[in-house]
Parts: sequence; structure tokens; C-alpha cells
Amino acid sequence: MRGEISRRQCLHIGSTAFGSLAWAALQGHAQVARGMDRAPNAARLAPRAKRVIFLFMNGGPSQHDMFDYKPELAKRSGQTGRDKKKPLIGPITTFAQHGNSGQWISDFLPHLANQADQLCVIRSMQTNSSAHPLAIPLLHTGSFQFTRPSMGSWILYGLGTENKDLPGYISINPTRTFGGPSNYGSAFLPSNFQATRIGWQGKSLRDATIENIGPDGAPTTTAKRQVELSQMLNRSLLARGQAIHSVRGALDSLDLSLRMEAVVPHVMNLAEETVDTLSMYGIDQKPTDNFARQCLLARRFAEAGVRFIQLTHGGWDHHSNLNKKLPDRCADIDKPIAALLTDLKQRGMLEDTLVLWIGEFGRQPDTQILNGKLADGRDHNAKGYCAWLAGGGVREGISHGATDELGYEAVENQVHLYDLQATILHLVGLDHTKLTYRYSGRDFRLTDVHGQVVHDILT
Amino acid sequence: MVAFVRCLSATAICLMGLTQCLADGLETAAEQQQSWALQTVRRAKLPEVRNSNWPRREIDYFVLARLDSAGLAPVQGAGPRTLLRRLYFDLIGLPPSPEEIRAYMADESANRFERLVNRLLESPQFGERWGRHWLDVVRFAESSGKEFNFSYPHAWPYRDYVIDSLNADKPYDQFIREQLAGDLLHANHPPEQQNDDLLIATGFLAIGPKRHNNRQRGFDADMVDELIDVTMRSVLGLTVACARCHDHKFDPISSSDYYALAGIFSSTAPLYGTIKQKYSKHPTDLVAIGPNARQMHIAAEAHDTKIKEAAEKLSQEQEKLKQAEEQLNLVAENPDQQAATGDADPTEATAAEEKDTELAALKAQVAALEKGVEELKASAPPRPRYTVSARDRKKPANAQIAIRGNPGNLGDEVPRGYLKCLHLESVPPPSAEQSGRLELARWLTSPENPLTARVMVNRIWRHLFGAGLVRSVDDFGQLGTPPSHPELLDWLASEFISADWSVKHMIRTIVLSRSYRLSSAADERGMEVDPANVMLWRMSPRRLEAEAIRDALLAASGQLDLSRPVGSPVTDLGDQLVRGVNLDQLRPSSNHRSVYLPVVRDYPPKLFELFDFPSADLVSGNRVATTGPLQDLYLRNDLEMHKHSRAMAELLLEKTPASDEARVQLAFELGFGRLPSAEEQAASLSLIDDLLKHTNGAEPDKPKAANRSQEESDANETVSPTVEAWSALCQALFGSAEFRYLVDIDYAR
Repeated sequence: MRGEISRRQCLHIGSTAFGSLAWAALQGHAQVARGMDRAPNAARLAPRAKRVIFLFMNGGPSQHDMFDYKPELAKRSGQTGRDKKKPLIGPITTFAQHGNSGQWISDFLPHLANQADQLCVIRSMQTNSSAHPLAIPLLHTGSFQFTRPSMGSWILYGLGTENKDLPGYISINPTRTFGGPSNYGSAFLPSNFQATRIGWQGKSLRDATIENIGPDGAPTTTAKRQVELSQMLNRSLLARGQAIHSVRGALDSLDLSLRMEAVVPHVMNLAEETVDTLSMYGIDQKPTDNFARQCLLARRFAEAGVRFIQLTHGGWDHHSNLNKKLPDRCADIDKPIAALLTDLKQRGMLEDTLVLWIGEFGRQPDTQILNGKLADGRDHNAKGYCAWLAGGGVREGISHGATDELGYEAVENQVHLYDLQATILHLVGLDHTKLTYRYSGRDFRLTDVHGQVVHDILT
Repeated sequence: MVAFVRCLSATAICLMGLTQCLADGLETAAEQQQSWALQTVRRAKLPEVRNSNWPRREIDYFVLARLDSAGLAPVQGAGPRTLLRRLYFDLIGLPPSPEEIRAYMADESANRFERLVNRLLESPQFGERWGRHWLDVVRFAESSGKEFNFSYPHAWPYRDYVIDSLNADKPYDQFIREQLAGDLLHANHPPEQQNDDLLIATGFLAIGPKRHNNRQRGFDADMVDELIDVTMRSVLGLTVACARCHDHKFDPISSSDYYALAGIFSSTAPLYGTIKQKYSKHPTDLVAIGPNARQMHIAAEAHDTKIKEAAEKLSQEQEKLKQAEEQLNLVAENPDQQAATGDADPTEATAAEEKDTELAALKAQVAALEKGVEELKASAPPRPRYTVSARDRKKPANAQIAIRGNPGNLGDEVPRGYLKCLHLESVPPPSAEQSGRLELARWLTSPENPLTARVMVNRIWRHLFGAGLVRSVDDFGQLGTPPSHPELLDWLASEFISADWSVKHMIRTIVLSRSYRLSSAADERGMEVDPANVMLWRMSPRRLEAEAIRDALLAASGQLDLSRPVGSPVTDLGDQLVRGVNLDQLRPSSNHRSVYLPVVRDYPPKLFELFDFPSADLVSGNRVATTGPLQDLYLRNDLEMHKHSRAMAELLLEKTPASDEARVQLAFELGFGRLPSAEEQAASLSLIDDLLKHTNGAEPDKPKAANRSQEESDANETVSPTVEAWSALCQALFGSAEFRYLVDIDYAR
């Protein structure tokens, strides 16, 4: 107990409501939050991945028709399951084994099936809520009850940025629903850990930009002269010995804005890609164009050193019309995601990029009842669903965990969302139990008091 | 573990990580009792100092004694321009105008600073500045936030109430009592003499983030929890919410303390408005305010009932008419039947005529009713204004302990009450007939309560020095930071209480100290021994907050509208889901002060988002100041910034037509509160020359802005190269660090 107290006394000296910021200030780095603010060193582990591409399937994709093959469910399709009123629905399409690994993937995803040997499919995901409004913030921030920093903000706080000419955390086409910006916000972490947004879900990405960066990077004469004068004034302030750390920070940051303005349009200019690449992703093709642009942008941002990139794809909430809509949604993403994996691999980037594909939950093996009638759809399922990882530090071509024979819930090697979050932090080199931030009299974590790293899926 | 997780998803989550608490917790009751913050406030004697000539006010003795003990000396005092700018921003959040600067510099009287302090404290802009500080703490917003973000169209009166209260220097204890229990204080007023302020004040209880789609039990439990959290943290600097699930592991707060408070708040009905619609399950009344509010409300409701009845009648008649027409059409569509029978039956012809007459009558009736409804709508009496508020529920009731925070697993009932670690003999227990908020408010604001005054003077200090004496301003518990100057904190707290809780008195007392008036210059020894300036050897350089940056932009460019806008743009949005609202409507253009911009959760104005406006979901007594390139991109490229630069350029050209030199000087006075150095003057003039040469005879460069609309582009075409060049100069000033930092600005030219 004495040791405990001295640790706390140390915190008293070193920590305030803004945690390590003030610690840095005490050590003489008064430019507290220049974007260089870092988590405690104790949280650092050897990283397996340098960056994360998070593919969020908004609505809850049906694992039964994509990744979680259940022969028993196919056999008993139409028969009564756990609920007498809701007959089982077998997979609505055929499954086959793919690659050397023999991963089961449905024929809705023919391109992704070719990447089967890259995937680590977790078939035993669980989360705390089967309602979108709760499950979506949970997935992004680890909490639905309170406003908490998003996973990308935690990672940026933990690792800092890899390329100072670009934002460290980008969210492409995020949703405005179910928490909207809070899902990529920084909550009580300093605001430079929030994501920079490009576009909105459902809008075409073709003309979307980062706010205040035009499509043409070269600044005008006026703009250049203007910045020169600002910097001259900043240097004059420095020469007067005023607020040295802050002014130096402001001076660097202004230079950075010029570089960002030059770099971003270049990174976002897909015309620099070969025709073959554009076509591999499915750009300018139906129905893949929009998500293909997101995926290719993600690769380009990843290549340029952006730490955390989230893509959102909507329309996965299939309570009805499953037979029509699910294959359509699969067709939107199949080719672009397969191309992303291929592209990362051929550039040698897959080994240090972690790709995560997940919805806020999955779906039920039995029939949705809508307005008292059986519908062509499946209801939400938080007790068993699929996610997959690929790349940095993750075992290739494996499946982890299993649901029961009908796919109602995870029964073997359950992976709770908190476990997945802990594992993602682990892979980027952060100990989820030590990546903390003091706010309101308490040290907060992404995983709160939960989460165990899933070592079985690590290389 | 699985069971625990289920409990979380099913009901309320354990607020504080249980296992972490158990692992980290301190078990010694002895240490809990030592907590400095719970000790009685004692007015200390002024300490001995080495240089007794230095202190000017009591505060200075405490500061100097601490510096003495560390072998440090305070730096020299700040110059007059520096002080003027510092005081303007600190007290009213605006820069001094060039005229005000000149008048101040020309004033040779010994008490010019003191008179200035008094003038600024009396200015209506004071409350707009200091009101916003309080709005940060009480997480003010005009929408519910969370997954379904519903607008709160009638939250703005609370904002104005806070501003007005600070301007009136309402005693802080009364200010707190009104926010906690204004409705109960109001109970003695006769209805014809409604005191709106008392009813608006309890809007404090209504404006928190809420999940309107939640089930009733969870909704109520979360609302109560949020109220305990905001009340205890804003007023006492204590985190009590942990105790929802278990005894607090660091501070002497037990679960039964939590549920004693929960009983008070669960006997309270916050009135936030909203209407019943999809995902919005818990609408409440609002309170009508303004002259004749009750009568107007009753008349408007009665009139609405009339409209509703008339509309119902109309729709019945319309239905009848529709049926009659259909019948007639049926006959008209089958004329063959009549033809086949040969001659027409005369009685049928008569019947048809009768039908026509009937139809005509029906049509006339419908038309008359339509007109009636229109007229009723047009003659609707004006509605009063409405406000968020709160009132007691019909029957006050004690709460039961929810075991591990799970409202489905209830334990012992706890009588309503306060924190046991702060037992005050003089405060009676909650009344049996009411919720107990009034008594709670009295307990909070009792002069015997050691925390309330300490927490508030520390908040005031924080806004004048950039950091509190207790740096964790919202947390005076064991995990917070202990005070850097405990005796000074107590001196201030005791002064606050004896000055009848006057916020203005405390601000005056602090800014008139020598400690407040120090330079921000760095000093080698100070930087070595105390780089974070905990001991106050200088005034810390500070960055302006988002609101002050925006207000300074509007002021420098001559666009600032100091009048108070009526209401809020959110009122016009009505009750709706924010996600469906166009972003331009959530972030409307305005020249009013920043405190009057709509605060819609998750959608603050762009400049606010970039310059660290706090999340309105959280109690935020501290703001951080981040620096990053997205801020510079905004300052350089956003259309709003072009607008400000253009306006300031036009002002310069209009006000000082004679010389470019005079224009540059005015520009520096407007932007930085000082004149340019020779070097700066030369660099500025050369920028103007270069740009004018560059555009001479050629099409001038347009400053670029992303997402420029056609309309904006067209507007640019008409701007002269001279205005463009001066705009660039103004924007260069806006984009430099000095514009947004409070630093020393007195130096030899």
C-alpha cells in the first residue's frame, strides 16, 4: 500500500485534469498540445502494425450469407429454430472453400474469396447491444452511455502521427446518425486527436475534400506572400522571447498547413493511379465506384503515413428484402476490398497495415417478423457475428471461434468487442490496460475494465 | 464476466470500472479524512515575505512567500498596452479598440487601471464573457446529443439568464440556489407576478445530454445520474457518480450517499420540451415566459384546440364530398346502362338534379370550412416564449440502492439527503413534502460548506491566470491535484463568502493584485525551476479561446454586432432530429458575439471545433489549447476568414485614406493592440506593394477557398486589387500567433 500511495503522490505532482499534458508542461515542454502529445510510455509495446484501415459496415451484415457457413442451418432451412414463430433461413446463396486455407466464403464475395488466405475471420464476435444506437458508439468508442474518445483518437494519442503533413486520423464518408461525429470524436482527449472528416455516408466521394483544402495544391502569390508575412510576425514574436513554445508550435503548424495543402490534393488525386489499378478497385464502374474510391483513398492515405483511416459503408440492415439487397451490398464492397488487400500486399504494406472489417453486430439465423408477418430478412444479433482482420501481425488464412451449429450465438472462443479492441491496440503496439487518460478524477481507457488480447490470432 | 457484461447491456453501466477501482483503491479511512478539500476554510494570516515592498494586495503576500521559499523572484510588471489587452480579453473577451487604447495611454491618473477594471466589470460584455465560462461547466447545449440528437429549441433563455446573472453580480450562492431550486423559491410568488428568472434558472437541470429513445426506467436513471454528476462536479468539484455502482474508492463517498441524492433528483422533473415522435419517447412541458405568459399560453392553446376541431370538421365534410363525387362518377362512367333501357326515367333525372344540388351544397360547405380554418390559422394569437425548466414530481420518494448500478436489482431504500462526509449541522434534511432540491441547494451554498467557495474562486482564478491553484478545477477529490497555494485558496474562499459571494468582487481583487499584473516574459531561473509556472513567477502566456478569437476577428474588422439577438436559431428549427438538418442551418452566419451562436451537440461552429471548444456532453472547467495545421488552413482559407479580412481591409481604406503607413499602424492596433515595429511596418508595406504590382494591369489573384460557391466567386469579381492586397495583409495578421495569444506587447519601437 505504501508503494501505491507514492505512485499516487507522483500523479498528484505530475498529473492534472489534462493528464500527461501537464506532465509534459512540468518537464518544460510547455507547448502542451501541439499534436505531439503522447500517452504514457508504459503503454508502448512492440508494434506489429503501423496503421489501421477500419472498414465499418453500417447496419449489421448477415454473416450467415457471407462468412459463417453452417451446413446444419442450410439443412434445416424452413424448419423451426429456437423460436417457434420464426423459421430458420439457410444461407441464401452457396458457400465454398477457398485458397490453401480452405476458408468458407459465400459466392456473394467472389473477389474477396480469392483473398481467403489473407483473412483471419473471427466467427465468434459478441457485443453488448443489438440496437444500432448503442452498438455503433460501442464499436467506435467502447461506450454508449457516455461520450468517450473514439478508437482512432486513442491510437493517435498513443502513437502520434507518422506523417506531419497529413492529419493522423481520417474518417471517410462517416455517418451522421447514431452519435454521428461522436463516433470519430476525441471527447475529453485534446481536439487534435479527433478525425478529419472527408465526405458523408451516402454522398458521392468524387468531389469531397478535407475542409479548407482546395483541389489545386499550389498556393497563389497572394497566399504565399500572406503566409510569409504571418511567419515574419511569428519570428518577431519569438525574437521578443514571448510564449516561445506556443509560438514555435504555431510557426511550425503554419508551415505544415502549406505542406498539407500541397500534399492532400496530391494524395487524393486518384488520376495518378494506373488504369489497371483504377479498374482493379472498380472505379468508374457500377456499383463499386464510391466504395472503390474510399478504398483506394485509404491505401493512398496509408501509404502517406496516416495512422488510422476509417471507411463507412451503409445499407446493411436487412430486416427485409434480404435476397435482393444483401447481394447488392456485397457487390458494392467485394471488388474494392479485394483490390485493397491485393494492392497493400503487392506494395509490401499489408505486413504493417491492419485491416479490420466489421459491422456493429451481425444477424439472426431465423426469419424476421415484420408487422406480424414473416419477412425476407433477418433481425439483429449481438451474441454471434463475424469480423475479419488482415495484415500486420495477424495470422493469415485462419478462422477463430465458432457459433453454435445454427449460428445463434458464439459458443467457442468467444471474442467480445472489448477483446477485439484490446487486440487492435496490442497490434499497433499499445497496452490497452495502460493507455489511459485522466479525466474527471479517473484514468479512462478505451476498453474500460474489460478486454483480453486474443493471442490465438496473432502471428 | 459474461453475466456482468449482460447486466451492463441490459441496464445501467457501472460508471467507474469496478475491478479497476478495487485494484487501485485506497482503503485507509485515515487518508480519506485527511482530504484537504473537506477541511474547514480558514482565513490564514498574511505570510512573511522577504521584500515587503513588493506586495500590493493580500494575494501578493501568498504568491511572494511561495516564490521566496523556492528561491524565485517575480518578473517585472507588464506594460500598459499589455495590461490593457490582457484585462479586456480576461474581463469582457474582446480586444480594446484603437480609440480605447489611445485614451488609456493618454490618461495619466494614478488609478486609471482601477477605473478601467470597474468600467469593464460594469460593461454588459462582462456577462457574455464570464457567462460562457459557466456554460462550459454546466454543459449547456441546445440539443440532446447522443445517438438521436434532438433539438432543444427553448434552451436559450437559460443562456441569457446566466449572462444576466453575471452582469447583475448576483451572489454566487443565490445563483446556485436558483439553478437547483428556482421553481421552489418561486412557490411564494403570486402567479400574476411570475418571476421568469427563477423558472429559467432550473433549466440547468434540463439541458444535459439525454438518450430520448431509451426506455423509461433507463432514461430516468441516466438523467438522475447526469444531474448528480453535473451538480456535484460543478459546485463541489467532487465526482460522486462512481458511487452509482459501489462506494467511491478514492473519496469518502458511499453508494448510500449517491442514492440519497438520487432520491432528490428522481423526485424532480426536468422540463426540456421535445415532442413525441420517432425515437423521442419522453416529451415534457415547457414553461411560458414573458409578459402575460400564462394568459397568452392559455389563449394560444385554446385557439389551437379550435383550429384542431375546425380541421376535423373540415376533413369529415371533405370525406363526405369525396364519397358523393365518387358516387356521381360511378353513374357518369356507366351511361350505357341508361341508354340500354331506352328512354330516361324522369324521376331519375330529378334524382340526378337533386344529387347535383346536394353536391353543390357540400362543395360550398367545404369551401366555407376551408376558409374558416385558414382564418383561424391567420388569426392565431401570438404564443409566449418558452423555456426549459424543472419542477417537483407529484410525490417525492426516496430511492433504493441499485445494486451494482442495475435498476433491476434493488436493495435498501435510502432517505433523501446529502454527502455524509460533509455533514452540516445548520442545514435541515430534505423536506418530506418536496423533492429536497431547495434544502440541497442550501446545503451546497452554506458558508460552512468548505468546497463551494473554494471551487468557485479556483474557477475564477483559472480564467485569470490560465490554470487554477487547484489545476484539476472540476476535481477536488483525492485523484485531483492538491492546491499549489493552499493558504491563498482559503484566503480567497473566505473573502468570497464575506463579500456576499460577489464574483465581481473576487475578479476585482485578483486583477488589482501585483501578481496578476506581471509580465509574461520568460526568465531563465524561472524556466529552470518552475517551467509550468505553478508558483506564479510570471503571467503565463495564454491562447485565446475559440469565442474570443472569433469575437476579436469581428471586432478588428468592424463587423461585431454587440446587440443581443433574440432567442436562438435553434428555436426556428423546431423539434427535430439534428442529423436531418442542413449544416448551414446549424452553423448560420452571424456577426453577434460567439456566446450567442447555437450550441448544437456534435455540431459546434467550425472555428470552435478547431480551437478546442469543449464537448457539451462533459463538465469542462478547463479548456486545453491545441495547435495544428487544420487551424491554419481554416484561418487562411475559410470563406468566413475571407469575409473578415475583406471587411477589415475596407475599414482601413475608409478610415485612413491618407497614407499607407497610417493604415498599417491602424491594422496593427486593431489586430494586436500595439503599433508595428519599423521592420514589421516595412514588411507590411512591401506586401501591399508587391501584390499591387503583381496585379497591375492583370487579373488579380483570388484567394482560394475550398467549396467556394458560384455566388461567392461572382462576389469576388467586383473586388478591387487594392482591397485584395489589404485583405491579404489583414489575413496575415489574423493568421499570426500574436493575434490569438496574450503576450507582452509593450516594447521599444
